[in-house]
Amino acid sequence: MAAAFRRSAARRLGGLLSWIGLVGAIAAAWQASLWFGVMTPELLPPIGEVLATAVSLLGRPAFLASVGVTLAEVLVAFAIAVPLGVALGFAISESSYWSAILKPIVFLIFSIPKTIFLPMFILAFGINFGQKVGFGVFSTIFIVLISSFSALDSVKSDHVRVARAYGASPWQIAWRVYMPAMAPILLEAVRLAMIFNLTGILLAEMYASRAGLGQLIASWGENYMLKELLAGILLIAAAAILFNEAVRWFEARCEHWRS
Amino acid sequence: MSTMARGTTAGSPASASAVPRSEAKAPLRIVASAPGAVSVAGVSHTYDVSGRVTKALDEIDLAIAPGRFVVIVGPSGCGKSSLLMMMTGLTKPTAGTIVCGGRPMTEPDPDVVGVVFQEASLYPWLTAQDNVEFPLSLRRVPKAERAARAREKLALVGLQGFEDRYPHELSGGMKQRVSIARGLVQNPSILMLDEPFAALDEQTRITMGDELLRIWAETGKTVVFVTHSLSEAAYLADEIVVMSARPGRIIDRIEVALPRPRTYEMMSTPHFAELRERIWRQIRHQVSEG
Repeated sequence: MAAAFRRSAARRLGGLLSWIGLVGAIAAAWQASLWFGVMTPELLPPIGEVLATAVSLLGRPAFLASVGVTLAEVLVAFAIAVPLGVALGFAISESSYWSAILKPIVFLIFSIPKTIFLPMFILAFGINFGQKVGFGVFSTIFIVLISSFSALDSVKSDHVRVARAYGASPWQIAWRVYMPAMAPILLEAVRLAMIFNLTGILLAEMYASRAGLGQLIASWGENYMLKELLAGILLIAAAAILFNEAVRWFEARCEHWRS
Repeated sequence: MSTMARGTTAGSPASASAVPRSEAKAPLRIVASAPGAVSVAGVSHTYDVSGRVTKALDEIDLAIAPGRFVVIVGPSGCGKSSLLMMMTGLTKPTAGTIVCGGRPMTEPDPDVVGVVFQEASLYPWLTAQDNVEFPLSLRRVPKAERAARAREKLALVGLQGFEDRYPHELSGGMKQRVSIARGLVQNPSILMLDEPFAALDEQTRITMGDELLRIWAETGKTVVFVTHSLSEAAYLADEIVVMSARPGRIIDRIEVALPRPRTYEMMSTPHFAELRERIWRQIRHQVSEG
């Protein structure tokens, strides 16, 4: 036990060190490219200035308002797409009739890049909150559907039979057998869903929008405001990585038995 | 210990179960309500696959007296596992009745029958201890009692000290020990095992057979054991029930005259060879057909 704990602690420390190393290497390469004249400050502002801009952005009400808009869109789209996708995925999987018809269609649509449908969303919804959420849901729901299919497939009929042999009620089977068996795949679905969701909504904001982080990023780019642009990229990247790692940490706790 | 278990079964009414089929029904009514007794009467099963009706089991009658070790053997596809699943109450036969310990098995009853499945039926996300506690937790047995009973059964199957291991940290034989502990944890009078050692290597298989016999002798349960291995059947059983290929029928019931406790050396006795031969003679042509 103690040895296993020490091993996992060492692994975590190693992971942390390699993270610090990676970030340090990127920062060093950034600065070195300026010192050796590969990049000019007009193309790549010094990292210290970008970080200072990032800090000051966090104090600007206009920036925080944009964060609020994007966050609201992302959360609403996520709160619709994930439960809806899981529920639909289970409903389709449970019926062999609908599975046969709908699963191939879901896989076909999944293979199409969702971005090409963005203009249609603008035509249908206009340029507003609902359009961003709608496009976010559309970008996200197929990966959730596909993950739900495989989550249900991962439940072994033997495990259900054991529970029935010991007198489990349908509710107990759902809670004590289906949930733990599916948890790792469903958490992975949550993680992937957030990536697809963020991508869809930021793109919709960059393409046509009056508010939001995507709109800011696009206008900073067009107006050659490199410090703000890079600071915005760093902040969004950090937030996305943070969410992803938090879910991954939870995932690892739920799937320690899968080796 | 094992002689004690023999003592309790020797005088029981249905121990003379090698009698012809028509007579087998008479003593059945006497024992059917006793704890640990199993009675299968007129069980047939048909299922249809896209319009084609297939008869899987045909008129199965089987009476098992409390405390006996009965092995059902037959070619693959003879419906022996299906029959066992019906005896556990997990599936329903198309016709006929099954009574275990006086209760009709229309649905699983873990107070009467504990079930041990083929490999990989343990929950991989639970420790050995939690797997054994699982049936108790379904019935909301208090935590302390649950833990104590599961520990006791794990000790019975020789897994003291392995309580906190997850299934992927255990060998195949150890996993099946956990399964047996789980089957015993509600203290049922009957234990039913569906090819429990089929996925194990031969050496582990023999050891596990000995272990099961020891546990059987210590607990005095009725054991119904399904296998396709002739040696396993002859080595473990008081009585061997031989089934034919589809539709599954009971074509022979053989009393095993080998003394208890069984030892590995008995496998090279003439009687053991005769038993194997007698089973093989009856199922040989059906195996090659399949």
